[in-house]
Amino acid sequence: MDFDVVVVGGGPAGLAAAIKADERGERVLVIEREARLGGILKQCIHDGFGVVRFGEKLSGPEYADRFISQLKQTKVQTSLFSFVTHAEKSEKGFHLTYVCKDGVKNVRCNRLILATGCRERTRNGIFIHGDRCAGVYTAGAAQNLVNMLGVMPGKKVVILGSGDIGLIMARRLTLEGATVVGVYEAKPTPSGLTRNIHQCLHDFDIPLHLSQTVTRVFGEERLQEVEICDVDDKMRPIAGTEQRVQCDCLVLAVGLIPENELARSLTVPLDPCTKGAFVDQNCQTLVDGVFACGNALHVNDLVDYVSESGEIAACGAASGPRKLLNIDKEGKLLYIVPQRLDVNAPADKVVMYFRASEELQNQCLTVSVDGETVFTKNYRRLLPPEMERIVLDLGKAATAQRIVVRLEDK
Amino acid sequence: MEMVCIVCPNGCRLTVQQQDGQISVQGNKCKRGEAFAVSELTNPTRSFTTSVRTTVKGYPVVSVRTAGEIPKGKLAELLQLCKQITVTQPLPTGSVVAANLFGTGVDLITTTNMESANE
Amino acid sequence: MNYEKITKKVAKQYGVDVEVSADERSVFLRGQCGNWADIVAIGKMYVTEGKHVVNDIQLIGHTEQPERLPKLTDSALDGTSWDVVVIGGGISGCAVARELTRYKLKVLLVEKHSDVARGASGANNGMVHAGIDLKHQCLKLKYGVGGNAIYGDVCKELGVDFRRSGQYVIFDSKLIRFFAKGTVKRATRHGIPGVRILGKDEIAQVEPAVKDFAVGALYAPSTGYVSPYQLTIAYAENAVQNGATVSLNTAVLGMEMADGLVAKVVTNRGTLSAKCVVNCAGVFADKVAAMAGDRYFSIHPRRGTDLMLDPKAEGVPTQTISMGPSLKSVSKFGSGSTKGGGVIRTADGNYLLGPDAVEIPDREDTSTNAQSLANVFAKHSQVCPTLRRSDIIAYFSGVRAPTYEEDFIIERSAKVANLVHVAGIQSPGITAAPLFSKDVAEIVRQYLLSAGEQVVLNDAFDPVRPRPVKARQLDDDARDKLIQSDPDFGKIICRCEEISLGEIKQALHNPLGVHTIDGVKRRVRAGMGRCQGGFCMPLITDIIAKETNGQCTDVAKDDIGSNVAVGKIKEV
Repeated sequence: MDFDVVVVGGGPAGLAAAIKADERGERVLVIEREARLGGILKQCIHDGFGVVRFGEKLSGPEYADRFISQLKQTKVQTSLFSFVTHAEKSEKGFHLTYVCKDGVKNVRCNRLILATGCRERTRNGIFIHGDRCAGVYTAGAAQNLVNMLGVMPGKKVVILGSGDIGLIMARRLTLEGATVVGVYEAKPTPSGLTRNIHQCLHDFDIPLHLSQTVTRVFGEERLQEVEICDVDDKMRPIAGTEQRVQCDCLVLAVGLIPENELARSLTVPLDPCTKGAFVDQNCQTLVDGVFACGNALHVNDLVDYVSESGEIAACGAASGPRKLLNIDKEGKLLYIVPQRLDVNAPADKVVMYFRASEELQNQCLTVSVDGETVFTKNYRRLLPPEMERIVLDLGKAATAQRIVVRLEDK
Repeated sequence: MEMVCIVCPNGCRLTVQQQDGQISVQGNKCKRGEAFAVSELTNPTRSFTTSVRTTVKGYPVVSVRTAGEIPKGKLAELLQLCKQITVTQPLPTGSVVAANLFGTGVDLITTTNMESANE
Repeated sequence: MNYEKITKKVAKQYGVDVEVSADERSVFLRGQCGNWADIVAIGKMYVTEGKHVVNDIQLIGHTEQPERLPKLTDSALDGTSWDVVVIGGGISGCAVARELTRYKLKVLLVEKHSDVARGASGANNGMVHAGIDLKHQCLKLKYGVGGNAIYGDVCKELGVDFRRSGQYVIFDSKLIRFFAKGTVKRATRHGIPGVRILGKDEIAQVEPAVKDFAVGALYAPSTGYVSPYQLTIAYAENAVQNGATVSLNTAVLGMEMADGLVAKVVTNRGTLSAKCVVNCAGVFADKVAAMAGDRYFSIHPRRGTDLMLDPKAEGVPTQTISMGPSLKSVSKFGSGSTKGGGVIRTADGNYLLGPDAVEIPDREDTSTNAQSLANVFAKHSQVCPTLRRSDIIAYFSGVRAPTYEEDFIIERSAKVANLVHVAGIQSPGITAAPLFSKDVAEIVRQYLLSAGEQVVLNDAFDPVRPRPVKARQLDDDARDKLIQSDPDFGKIICRCEEISLGEIKQALHNPLGVHTIDGVKRRVRAGMGRCQGGFCMPLITDIIAKETNGQCTDVAKDDIGSNVAVGKIKEV
C-alpha cells in the first residue's frame, strides 16, 4: 500500500484532514487539482475566518496559510495541479488514477477522504432566460476575476442572491468603485449571516430587495439590462411584475452544490437533503473506507466547521466492522449531519450539524434514543442560513433501535 | 435602538439604550458585543480587506487587510492609498505594505503568501 | 396558378388582404397582418410547384431589429480581389470554401461574427439524419441521404468525431406501428439503409427506459451524431490550410453591380472585388440576394431550443430516442416542422432534449425563454418520465433559415450570373453540407470556366485536417506519453469536462486566429460541463491573455465588445 490515506482536495477540509491524519502517524497524500493549496479560500480575501478556531478575524488566504504552514512541518506528501480521473475500490483498498504535469499516476491507499468542495449553481440552473452576452457570472467566478486576476467584471452590478457570497461580493465590488444597483433575493428573508447584511450592505447603502428575482437578461455583446420579477410564496415569478434594471454585470450567488463526482463513481449514496454523502459520526460514508468532509459533505457557512469535519474524517479509521443505525430527523429540520451512527465506534462526543428548514422562533431541539431524551436545547431564533452545531453523547446508543433528532415549538 | 453585532458570525441582536451619556447593551452573548455597541455609537470602526497591485509573476494583485480596525470614515482615503501601492517582490503573509494608517497605529498587511505556484 | 383563390381564402381565414404579383421565379406577397405566425402560414399557402414565395407582408407594430454588425471598421480588405467570395461562416460557407480549395483559386470567406459556426450551425443537436422523415424527392432528400452516406469519411478526413449509432422512434400504439410500415417502404425506396421496425421486446432490450409504454419502434441505423460546430470549424481550418482566407468580424454591407454581375462586395473592412460570390448567409440569405437585386425567395426565421441534460441524470435513455406521432398528429408525420427531436445522445456523449420550432420575426433572436423551455421539456421528456427539470444543465436556441418552400436552394442565380445561392439550408443542413458543398464548388468552377477563367486543380490540396488531441479519450499509457512530451496536457483546467491546459493552448493556436472564451469552449468543450465555466472561465481568461501576449481585460467572451472584464481594478 502506497499510503494509509489519500485526501482528495487541498482546501480547508482536506488540509485539516491531512494534518490530523499525519498526527496519527498515517502516511498521507493530498491530491489538489489547482496549482496552489487553499481551495476557494485563496480568493476569499475578506475577513471573518477562524473566529471559532483561532479567535481571530483572519482573511481566507491567511486562514489557509495557517494550515499550509502546518502541513509543511509534517510528512504529508502533496501533489498539486493533479486531477483524479478514476477511483476504484477493491478488497485491498482504493486504487486512484490521477493526471498531473508529470504524467498519469497510480496510487493505492487504505482510506480515501473526499474533500472536493462544492460548485455554484449557474444561470441555467435557475432558468434565467435571454441573451448569451458577457457579464453574467457566478459570484465565485466574479470573485476570482477581482481578487485573483485583478479585473472588474462590471461597473454597474446587479447581484442575485443574498447568501454570504453575494453580500461579500456586493461590498467587494463597491470598494473597487463599482455601483451595486441592488441585491435581489427570491426568498422573503435574507440568506446570508445577519452581520454580513449589516457590514456589507447597510454600511454601503446597498439596497436589498426581497421576494424578487432576475428572470431574463438582455444584451448583445455585454449585458445591458436584466428583468426583475416579484415572486410568489413558491418563488415563482409573478406575471405582470416585470421591470427592467440597467446594469453591465449580473452576479449570481444562488447557491452551492457539493461536488461529489468522485463519490458517485465509487457508488457512495448521497443524501438528497445535503447533496453530500450520508455519513456516520466519523464522516465515513456508507461505503467502507470512503470519508467525506467539508463542503463536499454539506455546504457550511463557517470555515471553522469545514476544518473540523476534515479532522473528524481523519480520525475515523475504523478498528472493526461498522454497525450503522439511522439517525432520523423529525420536525422542521432541513438536514442533519451525520445521518448515521456507527454503534461500534465511540459515540460519546458526536458532533452534529443541522439547519432549520425555515425561519423559526422559540424552538426546542431534542435528541432521543429509543424514546429516551438524551439531549435538549432551546433556540430563541433559528434561520436556515445559519448552521447550528451541537455535541451529543450517544454512548448509550450501542444497543439502541432508533435515534431521533426533533425540532419543535417550545 | 436595535443593532446587530458584527464582531463574530453569531451576529447577536443587540438592544442598545442611551441615557445621560450612559450606554446599556442587551442581547450580547459576550463582552465584545457591548464594546461593539459602544464603539458603533461613539466612533464606529471597521477592519477592511482589499488588494493592491503587484509586479510579481502569477500575482496581478495581492490581498491586504488592515491589521486592526480603523475609523469607518477613513475608508475612502484607505482605498485611495491602496491605488498608490505596488508590491514588487514576493512577500510572505503579514508583510506590512503601509504602516500606521492615518496615525491610528494600525498597519496595512498582506494576507496572501506569495509563494511560487506549481505551474 | 390560381393565386386569386388563395387570396380569397386568406382574406376569409386571416382577414388579411394580400397583394399578389408574380414573375417566372417567384410570387411576391404584400400586405399587413397583426400576427407573425399568420404571416408565415399565409406565405406557405402560396407555395406552388416551381415558384418561390417572397413574403413581404408586414407585421403590424413591429420594426425589424437592425442586423447586428461587428463593432469594427477598418480597411483590411479594401481593394483586394478574389476569385470567389463566400459569404457566411456556417457549415455551408465553410464546407463550400474548403471544397473550392481543391482548385487553385483565391478564396475568401467572410463571417460577421468573431468565429465560425455562430448561427444555426452552432446551435443545433448535431444529428446526422438518415432522412426517414422526407416524403418526396427534393434537394433535402438528395443531399441528406447522400451526405449521410459519406459522413464517416468526411469526418475522418477532417479529424472530427462522428458516431453512427442510429435512432429509435417509439410507438405507443399498434395502429401507429402499422403506419410506420409505409415509412419503412419509403425509406427503402429512397435508398436509406437498414430501416426497420422493432418489436416490443426488441426495443425494451435496446432501451429499458421505455419498456412500459413502447409497443415498438422504428429504427434507422444510419442516423449519426457529430458536433456541428466542431465540423464547421474543421472545414474552415482545412480551407485555411489549403490556402483560403477566412476574414472574421467581417459583414457584407452591400454590393456594387456592373453589367448584371456582382462586381464589388462592400464590407465593414473595405470594398473588395470578386469574380464569383457564394451566398451562404443563412438567415440573411434573402437579404444578401437583395443586395444583388436578386431577391426571389424569403427566409422566415424559425427558432429551436435544445436542453442539455446532466449525463448523470436518472433514467436518461442511453440511445437517441423520440416519440413517434400520436394518433392525433399522425396526419402531420413528416410535414416539415414537426419532425425530429427527442432525447439525443450527442457526439460528445451528452444528452440533448429538443428542439422545438417557433416562427419568429427577428432573424437573430437566439434568446431563450420560459415557454420554449417548458414546451421542449414537456414534449420530449415523454420518452423519459423520470427526468426532472433540475437535470437540465444548459439550454440554448438557434434560428433556422427555411424558405417557404421548405427546401434547399442550391443554384446559380438565373439573374446574376456570378452569384451562387446556398439558401434555405436548415435541417438536415448539417447532414447535407458535405455533399452539396462539392456540387456548389462545381457550379462555381463551371461558371468561372464559362467566364473565360482558368480553373486548375490545387496539387497541394490536403484533405486531412489534423485531429485535435483529446487527452481524456486516451488510455492511461497514451495519455502518460502525451504528458511526458508536453506537461501541459497533464494540467487540468476545466474540471467538469477534464480539459487540460495543453488542449486549450492547442485550441488557441487555431488557424482562424480565434482567441475567445467561447471559441475555446466550442473547440475543446472547456466550460460546457455542469459548472458552466464557473471555475475555469477566469483561468481561461488568464491563459488567453498569456498566449496572446495581451491583458485579461482584452479577452472577449465572443464577439468584439463582449469583453469578460470592463477594466482593471484600482483603475475604474
